[in-house]
Amino acid sequence: MENLAGMSNIEQVQTVSNAPIFWVLCGITVALSAVQAILYMRQSFATAKKVNLDPKIPREAFRIGFISAIGPALGVFIVMVGLMASIGGPMAWLRLSIIGAAATELTAANVGAEACGVTLGSEQYTLVCLAVSWFTMALNGMGWLLFTGVATPSLEKLRDKVSGGDMKWLGVLSAACSLGIFGYLNAGEIHKGIGNTIAVLAGAVSMVAVVNTVCKKHPKLLEYSLGIAMIVGMIFAIGYDQLFK
Amino acid sequence: MNENEALKQWKKTSIMIGSPTNILAAATAFLPVLWLCTQYNCWPPVSTVLTAWAMIAASFGALWFCEPISYYASLGLTGTYLSFFAGNIGNMRVPCASLALDVTKSVPGTLQAEIVSTLAICGSVFTNLIGTTSAVIVGSAVLSVLPQFIVDGLTVYASSAIFGATFGNFAVKYPQIAVFGLAIPVILKMVPGLPAAVVIVITVFGTLLIARMFYTKGIIKA
Repeated sequence: MENLAGMSNIEQVQTVSNAPIFWVLCGITVALSAVQAILYMRQSFATAKKVNLDPKIPREAFRIGFISAIGPALGVFIVMVGLMASIGGPMAWLRLSIIGAAATELTAANVGAEACGVTLGSEQYTLVCLAVSWFTMALNGMGWLLFTGVATPSLEKLRDKVSGGDMKWLGVLSAACSLGIFGYLNAGEIHKGIGNTIAVLAGAVSMVAVVNTVCKKHPKLLEYSLGIAMIVGMIFAIGYDQLFK
Repeated sequence: MNENEALKQWKKTSIMIGSPTNILAAATAFLPVLWLCTQYNCWPPVSTVLTAWAMIAASFGALWFCEPISYYASLGLTGTYLSFFAGNIGNMRVPCASLALDVTKSVPGTLQAEIVSTLAICGSVFTNLIGTTSAVIVGSAVLSVLPQFIVDGLTVYASSAIFGATFGNFAVKYPQIAVFGLAIPVILKMVPGLPAAVVIVITVFGTLLIARMFYTKGIIKA
């Protein structure tokens, strides 16, 4: 264990929250996420074989997920470097590998400090406050994990009921649900300002354009359409910032 | 084995994998803080932890329930377990799954669609884990050589563009529904003090209701 004697509170918190043992303890949950994904992959490939699905389809599906996630993962990568500085390396690694975005975790860490009556990162923020912050993050994440762990089968029944076995309606239902969710997410971005609104519009227009023109001739490109749209959206938004700000 | 039987078996196995892992993860996420308190003898008063819990629940508590319900039709059974464990749902999981469904021309509700969206999400889980783990190892070094505008672009605008792209893709197929999907939350967000959970639920279920009306009147076809 680290010798904390003679250290200020800030130094203590920094030393302890980056102690090597926490990489191992945080790693358990990170590894569990990988294990879950591996189990589902095994199940998917086995089922695909059993029902004689074209073996190209599952492989392609995995590749699309893997490739399309690179863009958003780069965003997570950068946010994480910032979060490591404020909540410690191991905890940032754990929290951004599972449910809860950077803003959520920072809120939880701050709430922990507030409950102690101090500010995150100040000299009054002791190891006890660090513990409250860590408890708050775990308790917050627990909400989603427990609810889905327990109630997901009921949600499946609910969807069956709402769809009423009408497969055509189920297709519309899934699309309408996604439109609602992404409408909500986009509304949040639009309210942030012109730069974000431009990113939303450029992302939407370029995605639709790429999917309906180039990809019609070269279907292989579809896998990269999300990445292309993300880059185009970013270029337009950054361009606006450079020119008008 | 016929498709129906296989789908039933699929759902059973999915629950057997997902339910225990998500519940276990809720518990293992406490290991670091329990070790911290024990080793460094810094147990906080229970009342302080409860206060913090109540404070965080006030901000996010409704989302613990509303998000899984609202996202369900887009994620499906396995997708829900995977996504609410691994996070990054709007910016990563749903876009990846829906793109994979598009590319493979899978019909929602079929076994093929379940397999395709599951594997796409699994692929994205590994990408994210590689991303966070490499951030640990080389993060600061990479950040110090990246030009500021790229850093800004990735942190401020990447999500906006992905949200727009995914919405655009659905909007082309169902423009009549898309209008309401965007208009409802834009208007709701102008109401000061309305909690996020309320906005999500009204948006998703409002959009579903309108879609149902259009569908039964034959305005939209599958």
